[in-house]
Amino acid sequence: MHWLALYLPETIAAADRQAWRVRALHLTPRVALVDEALVLEVSASLRLWGGADRLLQQLLGSNWHLAGVRYAQAATYLIAIALLRLQRLGLPPPQPCPQQLPLSVLGAAQPHLGVLARVGCTTWGELRALPRAGVARRFGTPLLEALDAAHGERPETCTWLTLPEDFDLRLELPALATSAPELMWTAQRLLSALQAWLRARQRGVLAIELEWALDLKRLDGVLLPPTQQLTLRTAEPTQTTDHLRRLVGEHLARAALAAPANALRLRTLETAPWAGASTSLLPQDLRKGEKLHELVERLSVRLGAEQVRWPQTLADHRPEHRQRWVNARDAQGQSVASLVGSQDALLPTWLLREPLPLRVVQGQPYFQGPLHTLTSPQRIEGGWWDTTAAEGTVLRDYFVARSAQSGLLWIYRERGHAGSTGAAGDTTDSTERWFLHGAYA
Amino acid sequence: MAAVLSARDLPGVWPAHALATPSAAAYATGFAALDAELPGGGWPEAGLVELLLPAQAPHRWLVLLPALAARLRQHSGPLVLIGAPSLLGPQAPALEPFSPALAAQGVPAHRLLCINATSAAQRLWACEQALRCADTVAVVAWLPQREGAVQPAALRRLHVGAVDYGKPLFVLRSALAQQASTPAPLRLEVVAESDSAPGLQVRILKRRGPPLRNTLALRSPLPRLDALLQTRPGAAGSGEVAHALVGAVPA
Repeated sequence: MHWLALYLPETIAAADRQAWRVRALHLTPRVALVDEALVLEVSASLRLWGGADRLLQQLLGSNWHLAGVRYAQAATYLIAIALLRLQRLGLPPPQPCPQQLPLSVLGAAQPHLGVLARVGCTTWGELRALPRAGVARRFGTPLLEALDAAHGERPETCTWLTLPEDFDLRLELPALATSAPELMWTAQRLLSALQAWLRARQRGVLAIELEWALDLKRLDGVLLPPTQQLTLRTAEPTQTTDHLRRLVGEHLARAALAAPANALRLRTLETAPWAGASTSLLPQDLRKGEKLHELVERLSVRLGAEQVRWPQTLADHRPEHRQRWVNARDAQGQSVASLVGSQDALLPTWLLREPLPLRVVQGQPYFQGPLHTLTSPQRIEGGWWDTTAAEGTVLRDYFVARSAQSGLLWIYRERGHAGSTGAAGDTTDSTERWFLHGAYA
Repeated sequence: MAAVLSARDLPGVWPAHALATPSAAAYATGFAALDAELPGGGWPEAGLVELLLPAQAPHRWLVLLPALAARLRQHSGPLVLIGAPSLLGPQAPALEPFSPALAAQGVPAHRLLCINATSAAQRLWACEQALRCADTVAVVAWLPQREGAVQPAALRRLHVGAVDYGKPLFVLRSALAQQASTPAPLRLEVVAESDSAPGLQVRILKRRGPPLRNTLALRSPLPRLDALLQTRPGAAGSGEVAHALVGAVPA
């Protein structure tokens, strides 16, 4: 058994205490709160973390000394706590260790300290030398049991700490933040704590909420909400917070604070069991770089979700209804095979979002110069079933035309609903309208 | 003399009259005439390729399509299109990729990730992010036509990124950028069509090898469209509806 006892001074805020607990649970599953100390049983995890020194380094981080944190290690937690109390009193650890420890640092002996001192018994060794039956009759069994447990002759029992089902941690900002990017430093601390929590709970995060508390109740006569929130989602559960950190950074670079903020809170909205990352030994699987959903999410945050899109091919005759755009962030993993018709090879690879009306001079459409139609018309009539479409029924004759500068273009002539039945004489009608709808690559 | 011969074995050194042996592999462009003139016999597997398009027709990327389609067949993952050309100057609505036509040419819709970004800085940033992704097959980016919008240093950064991550990156710029220097090891220009020389023509402006003066006329990769265009409508009568005509076209 190898026990660590950790003393966190009163000055450390509750949220930071929680962070310490999460960090301890990241290192070993056996963490308990006993009296004023946080105790960790680490004998099973020493090898994993590379020895007691490395483990302590992981647990304490840097600057722990300045924060007033103290630690002690021993074979049982009662001894470790006793050493910790001695350390706080400024006394050196006695030799030999458990025998010469003063009784004043044993929790179970606190009610009997006066009587024990009067019988001339001040150290653990002296108390153990007294007849057990007499001690049990005079001071009760808990004192004897504690002493036995401290010497490892009796199992130590404590209630292990477990992590809550949801991660929820609130940190005070070191200074009032007036702009969102200033929250980043605290957000990083929160994310580190989140990572420790995820590892300890064996879960991956899917959605988190970042909430900052506003310092002002009203600004310029306008009532402000007490907090503002930011919700982040990712498509696949993750334990490493690199991707989340980048997402938070992108979001915060865009967010606006309604008023200066004084605290930041991070909580998980959705987590999933962590299956672990599977790796491959095949060289073609070891491609360098990040995952596709990470790319899509980052681009969507910075450029806007509707700017990162997949096209979806639909079955329709009208060209503008042949495809639909879906936001890549919402439609991840949906791969629908494209519908390819036999005539699609004759379509242009570029389509105008809105058909562009063309100037008509003497029956000939103009776009950067006269357009010469190269093909016979391709007639498209459709859309009568679609009552929601603004244009209603579509009656068009499509042509491939050559422009002197832009190459091959796809233009159409709109046919009226009545009168123009496609007779040859219609082409000279001065009222007909021409539109540019596509361009060949 | 012996020293000169040994220098030939160094990477990045090639005789002035021959094409260089590229350090990265190459894949066929789909045009035999073009493959013969490129170092390695095709587009480089990793790195930046600059393609200059006519200012009036910034949408003419046909020269890339056969190679991209072949690459999409061989690899899994999406093709990333960043930005889009606009036909009518800067105020006009941008063109959108038309997925049925692209699917017919071998670029399925569900593997086409389109990223709209207006400013040059955003497009360059998106390029860099797309190169970093392990899954993307290739990145094609239209850069704005405006002069000075893209610094050579930014392109150099992208080139290094593309080589680093082993991805082909095609940067499509206006022919106006021809005067500016480029860090890309390969730079081509699509020549604007004219009545005397229709069809797809490409000029290689920069390559690792001797300069190429003549223009390469490439066979169109769209046989059905060509067949349709060769069937002149005048003889058949302009009123005829296309169903019959299209039916007569050999596949």
